Amino acid sequence: MGNFRTAFNSFAGRHGMGVALFVAIAVAAWVILLIVLPQLSMLDYSFRHNLPASQIGGPDDTYTLENYRYFMFGNDDGLNTLDIGILLRTLIAAVFVTILDVMICYPIAFILAHSASGVSARLMVIGLIIPFWVNEILRAFAFRVLFGATGLINSVGLGMGLWDAPVDFIRADVALYSGLAYAYILLMIFPIYNAVEALDRAQIEAARDMGAPWWRVHWRIVLPIAKPGIASGATMVFMLTSGALAAPQILGGPSSLWFTQVIYQWFNQSSNWQRGSAYAVILLLVCIAFVTLMMRVFKVSVGEIGK
Amino acid sequence: MNPRGSVFSAAYALAFFTFLFGPLIIMVITAFNSSRFPRVTPWECFTTGWFNVLITNDRLMSGLLSSLFIGIGVIVVAVPVGLAGALALSELSARLRATLYTVLIVPILIPGVVLGISTIVFWGQIGRTLGGPAQAFFYNGYFLTIAGQVTFISAYAMLVFIARLQRFDATQTEAALDLGASPGQAFRKILLPFLAPAIGSAAFITLLASFENYNTTVFTILSGNTFTTALASKVRHGTDPSLSALAVIIISITLIGALTHEAYIRRKTLLDSGKAEQSAIFGNPVLRLLTHPGAVLALLLCIAGGLVWLGSKHDSSVCEAGILEEKRAIQRQLQEEQRSRIDAQKKAGGQTQTPAEGGAGNPSPFGGAFTGGLAPESAAPEPAAPSNPSPFGGAFNPGTLAPAPE
Repeated sequence: MGNFRTAFNSFAGRHGMGVALFVAIAVAAWVILLIVLPQLSMLDYSFRHNLPASQIGGPDDTYTLENYRYFMFGNDDGLNTLDIGILLRTLIAAVFVTILDVMICYPIAFILAHSASGVSARLMVIGLIIPFWVNEILRAFAFRVLFGATGLINSVGLGMGLWDAPVDFIRADVALYSGLAYAYILLMIFPIYNAVEALDRAQIEAARDMGAPWWRVHWRIVLPIAKPGIASGATMVFMLTSGALAAPQILGGPSSLWFTQVIYQWFNQSSNWQRGSAYAVILLLVCIAFVTLMMRVFKVSVGEIGK
Repeated sequence: MNPRGSVFSAAYALAFFTFLFGPLIIMVITAFNSSRFPRVTPWECFTTGWFNVLITNDRLMSGLLSSLFIGIGVIVVAVPVGLAGALALSELSARLRATLYTVLIVPILIPGVVLGISTIVFWGQIGRTLGGPAQAFFYNGYFLTIAGQVTFISAYAMLVFIARLQRFDATQTEAALDLGASPGQAFRKILLPFLAPAIGSAAFITLLASFENYNTTVFTILSGNTFTTALASKVRHGTDPSLSALAVIIISITLIGALTHEAYIRRKTLLDSGKAEQSAIFGNPVLRLLTHPGAVLALLLCIAGGLVWLGSKHDSSVCEAGILEEKRAIQRQLQEEQRSRIDAQKKAGGQTQTPAEGGAGNPSPFGGAFTGGLAPESAAPEPAAPSNPSPFGGAFNPGTLAPAPE
């Protein structure tokens, strides 16, 4: 607390009392009213029974672990393989999409930072940004047009005789994974680009002069520099992919659910907000745990993200 | 870079941008095909009718209004809050700064679904506790959406301000204070003007993020609709090319904006370089006027307006009637064939069979696909819909119907 007071006083000394008060109040409101309390309130809610409005606050309104028990064991006592399976599948798919994005974006970030120059580099940056001004829903829709049973890929494939019957890319989740990878490309490229740009070209030249093949140049020189960027991009892509709702709703096959869709169903179809909250808490905790674990493994800190 | 490497980079960049733009280009093309399902092949008629369908969609248009309202609300709250966050971070000690930075950046990473849920649960409880008019105010789609979006959009604004503040030379403020300015004056006269461009871009990013957001908004808007949620429910419940038409509009606006911005940046760097007078473009008065961002914008708007006018004149009804007639002819023909086959079967086996009336004259979009299921024996030789896994496949694809024997 003392630290805050010194900071506040030095701030008031430099920018004036009015500004200091505004900053203190705005940041406090942001942290407390918008970030911390809503999360705590959701946590609290997830431990409650799904009661009709009249009984809320009454004697039946007690804490319970029922919502979490349901996630683990379902209605009977066996494991709730359905929901747990969906969660695992979501996480694995998110990891897969993240790796795909790293593989797609690393070369282009490197090219942008070190091969392209002048006009072509500016054009590339504009070209990168323009697709991301188009609404997320419309981007998913574009993939549906592309991959649908009568979509372009199927017409071309059938026309060229590559396959005989239309391939159901939607059911096979090809459309979903490409749509998700597409959706978050920008969030992967810019962190990697920022990291790689700091690299001195002379280091690459030196390594090459000493006879290193291209893959070793990347493995030993570029990748270590790019690592914080990759970690930051991968964290964002992973979190956004596992929390994605629109793309799975639009591009997901009929038999495959994303975990966010299960949460959505508890809220909007079953009107069981308490259980939905519990599922949201589970998603949040599992994602945070996974990201923290990965950051430990790759030795990066949260402070690097967003830079 | 060695030549093989640069060939590889060029090829990779080409492939990458094909992936980036391919889906969008195809979507744009489908906006002008009269086929009821958005697709490129088979091409039916060039039409601009889908733009009409789009504009007359009331749900989308009323969603657009609430999106604008929410967007303005989010700008008004998120930009100052983000600025406050950035200023606070600039003043704290290193350890506290790292902690606060983590707390403020986390909302970007939290799944939007979780943010939406926590927002409605929290403000719902507050409203219940207070009751009366407060409940009506807090438990309201607009308020909840603004609150939920501000939680993480402020962090975007903050990142913009942090980037700008890093380039601020603090000695300027010191100098102003030494020269007798009050701290408040120094802030208003030095720091705020320095941050002005960042305020503009933060407001812009904020508006865009608010407009685009789905995951949080779909919970917090309650029973209402914003543009994006209306769009999503339309996409989920069956698609038609009017969505492609929407994409055409958005992409055009983006392109016009990007080109104008580029013209502005070019001109600015040229003027800043001090060599503007010697440059071939700037030296020539006509070219100088033409490359002015305002002129570029006006020119692009004229082109767009002209295209819209031309498009509104275009009438594809004759062509569409032709296509419809063609489809009917094919259906009649199939019907004839089926009837004659059934007659032949009756004659041959003397057995009665339910007349298969699948594809023929069936208004249902599923008609074609079910033909095969309803009359598997009699329909077997016809290429209408067999082995098509999609329920829409047969009905929407006259291409597969066409090769029926004459």
